[in-house]
Amino acid sequence: MATMRYAEALNLALREEMARDDTIFVFGEDIATYGGVFKVTQGLAEQFGDRVRDTPISEQTLTAMAVTAAMTGSRPVLEIMYADFLPLSLDALVNQASIYHYIWNEQVTMPFVLRTQGGGGVGTGAQHAKSLDAMVAHIPGLKVVAPVTPADARFLLKAAIRDPHPVIFLEHKLLYNLRGEVDEADDAVGEIGRARVAREGRDVTILATSRMVLEAEKAAEELAGEGVSAEVIDLRSLRPLDLDAITASVAKTNHAVVVNEGWRFCGYTAELAATIMDHAFDDLDAPVERVAARDMPIPYAEPLEREVIPGAADIAAAARRALA
Amino acid sequence: MATPITIGAAGGEYMESVVVTKWHVSRGARVCAGDLLAEVETAKAVTEVEAPCDGVLGEICAGEGDEIAVDATLGFLLAEGEDDAGAGGNAGTGGNAGAGGNAGAARDAPPAARPEAEASGGGRTDRVVASPLARRRARAAGLDLRQVTGSGPGGRIKRRDVEAVLARGPRAAGGALPVMLLHGFAADATTWSGLVAELGRGRRLIRPDLPGHGAAAPAGGGFEAVVAPLLEALDAVEAPRLHLVGHSLGGAVALSLAGARPARVASLTLIAPAGLGPEIDGPAVDGLCRATRPESLLPWLRRLVADPRRIGDDYARAAMAGRVEAVRAAQAALADRLFPDGTQALDLRSALAECPLPLRVIWGRDDAILPWRQALAAPGHAALNLLPGVGHMPHVEAPELVARLLRETVTAAEATGVQ
Repeated sequence: MATMRYAEALNLALREEMARDDTIFVFGEDIATYGGVFKVTQGLAEQFGDRVRDTPISEQTLTAMAVTAAMTGSRPVLEIMYADFLPLSLDALVNQASIYHYIWNEQVTMPFVLRTQGGGGVGTGAQHAKSLDAMVAHIPGLKVVAPVTPADARFLLKAAIRDPHPVIFLEHKLLYNLRGEVDEADDAVGEIGRARVAREGRDVTILATSRMVLEAEKAAEELAGEGVSAEVIDLRSLRPLDLDAITASVAKTNHAVVVNEGWRFCGYTAELAATIMDHAFDDLDAPVERVAARDMPIPYAEPLEREVIPGAADIAAAARRALA
Repeated sequence: MATPITIGAAGGEYMESVVVTKWHVSRGARVCAGDLLAEVETAKAVTEVEAPCDGVLGEICAGEGDEIAVDATLGFLLAEGEDDAGAGGNAGTGGNAGAGGNAGAARDAPPAARPEAEASGGGRTDRVVASPLARRRARAAGLDLRQVTGSGPGGRIKRRDVEAVLARGPRAAGGALPVMLLHGFAADATTWSGLVAELGRGRRLIRPDLPGHGAAAPAGGGFEAVVAPLLEALDAVEAPRLHLVGHSLGGAVALSLAGARPARVASLTLIAPAGLGPEIDGPAVDGLCRATRPESLLPWLRRLVADPRRIGDDYARAAMAGRVEAVRAAQAALADRLFPDGTQALDLRSALAECPLPLRVIWGRDDAILPWRQALAAPGHAALNLLPGVGHMPHVEAPELVARLLRETVTAAEATGVQ
């Protein structure tokens, strides 16, 4: 058992998988020589040579490359440096990666992973701080995961690489330095589609994704001081959803707060709220409360950014509204 | 034989409706196959509709400016010399579903509307605002949410409010066990509307149609087949217990349900119930089944009540509207099993005599269908009310009194009954 940072856990997962399967290759902008701007791929080039490739800045081309490589027998792991540039990847995702196994009657598989990181909180401005989770989670045929802990980062990246379908692997720039226990001897692989109860509670369920899980845990701590027992569920997988975990928790607490760092309108929280209504309506004792980013560009100035991106105080306030 | 004029493929891909922009021929005009009849406009283009065959333009179902479904009938072409009225008759099967003209209006009218059908759940104007969970809990407990004060935002009733009321005991919860009302032969659940109005609100009322009556599917069997779906309905009621009220055949059903589920029934009120003796007015049963028109139905409806002036032509017309062929056939088949040769084949006298539940029997002294003396089969603990000047329909003829008696029964049963 070792304590390691989130970025190191990802690095470990990549090394383990690349050593296991030589069809895996890693490519992206500044990921080889420089080791990636968040140092996730540091040292991989030394170990695996030309299976780790630097590329020009062209997310559209890179994603199309991942699709064709995956179709022809490789297992590419593509890094898109900022989730803000996912729109450049969209055509390959929407019109190729997510549908080929279907329109070719499963004669092709699409085993590739698109790693990217999004989110704000450190003043990176409107073009480098977005959470476009809903945009990719909207596409049937893609799996979307967003681990929070280093251990989950490792397990889920390994699961994503081994998955025969395209997986969008969402990281967060404020998670890379998060430390956590990782059992290097445990060679288990995570299961995509399973949520994690981050904190047990009985009064209100807080469903959160990515870094918002940490904010939800802070909110739960704050609520505990008021005598409110909040259950925090880390979804881990945005698509497919762990419906059983969601309905079981809502059946227990009868109140739900859903949290995602992306925009509110047509956002991921809207899907979560609707899902709860579809599957647990009669268990609800109050409307589902949504906590999401304000519908506007992410400001560069950090005080303004804090107003736009949700945090623990917003989540606690939403829980109080639900329980009112 | 009139030929329907349709748009066919002219609607084009993806189109669901078209607008009729122009008719080039008038009703009565003689046309040849391929002649231009009308123009319709889709979202993509204006398209011409040609005559499918030679003929004379009959009824026009969709006029200029009407928006109609692509598979709708625009009108009819008549063969030479064909009666125009024939086309109108066909229009019913032409199937415009009211999109354009009056085609379809001649279809069987649906069973009479039931304005009170939802009355027990609360009108729209004073909708109860409650969380889904609070509604579920209240339903399971048989609690009327109108008796609960909401403490949530905007006065929304939350679970805690329901549980607070329930914690105060059954009286605080209004003792509000639901009431299931079972109508008689050849009637349907609308028979209760007068009584329901008198009962007022504050209690959940469940008014199923008996099999083969109203909107319910035919029983396809004898008395057991009539009882079975209602036993299912009783079992499905989310309340610890309920009160049963049955009129005529519904009374016999109520008695059977009480025998099958004594622990679920809080009280039993029988209004001129069937099954308590062989005598029945056979001609009235036959007449009700046979009538296909308001005029033939009216005399038999009048036989049901003490004062025939209560039943007018309008009443008969409304009643006849619900008695479509399928309903009449189902009831005739049922009558043949239950009341063969003008005799009640059904004998529930021992069930009544052994009924341990709070029990009330209400009968009109002028009942011409079932003689009130059959009420004397009731056991000693039953309350017996013989209403002067009332026929076979006490709940219709004296709704105020029947409501009062029913209130007394359910209140007394809830005050003394096990909870």
